Amino acid sequence: MAFNVNLEMKGTEAHLTLSGELDAASAGVLKGTVEQAAGNNPAKLVMHMQDLSFMASAGLRVLIFAKQKMGEKVGITLIGCQAPVRSTLEMSGFHHSVYLQDAE
Amino acid sequence: MEPLVLPGTLDALSLIRQFVREAAGQAGLAQQAAYDLQLAVDEIATNIVIHGYEESGIGGDIRVEADLNPERLAITLEDSAPAFDPRGLVTAAARLLDAPLSERPVGGLGIFLTEQKMDGFEYEYRQGHNRNRFIMRRPGGKGLAP
Repeated sequence: MAFNVNLEMKGTEAHLTLSGELDAASAGVLKGTVEQAAGNNPAKLVMHMQDLSFMASAGLRVLIFAKQKMGEKVGITLIGCQAPVRSTLEMSGFHHSVYLQDAE
Repeated sequence: MEPLVLPGTLDALSLIRQFVREAAGQAGLAQQAAYDLQLAVDEIATNIVIHGYEESGIGGDIRVEADLNPERLAITLEDSAPAFDPRGLVTAAARLLDAPLSERPVGGLGIFLTEQKMDGFEYEYRQGHNRNRFIMRRPGGKGLAP
């Protein structure tokens, strides 16, 4: 399924809703949206992951980019990761750098 | 399944994953195992496209084959980019796993995930082609016949 991401600002929170498959071909789209979100100087970045069915290491690199772009004061929360995506994040140690939250 | 042959560009990745999903379904792999196989193949295919073909300035195809026996499913990726053995990157990536995010090596993480999750992984360079082979045991399969 093709990758899609929506950005919505809710006050000072930047909310990204992801769907489809995040790989090296689509990572640039996410990176662009993260840059857009960063331009709004958010206090917090929230990524809604329920509809993301696949994430390659290219996706992890965008998370690294987001962390660096937003700065240490901006927390990044990933909500509702599907089990295999969560597994990749935990195996790669990303659960130390981003908050993993169950679906609401 | 008929082998899949595609131009070695980023557009091939989603089609390669779809092929692997179908093969994993035929093999009866569990959901996580099927995902792990998709991920491993995708990571190596990505390296073939970016480092094999794009960076060397040449183009070429990627051929994907599925080979099923009662014990295991084997997926082979074949390309004609310059010879590259991905196994050398694994150790470097594994050592840096505890490092702060900014110090992570870029290309090795995907290959590290491959090493961890596959029941078998083989590489050879033969007659001008890189051949990367991913092996997953089937549920109920007793051993790993090559």
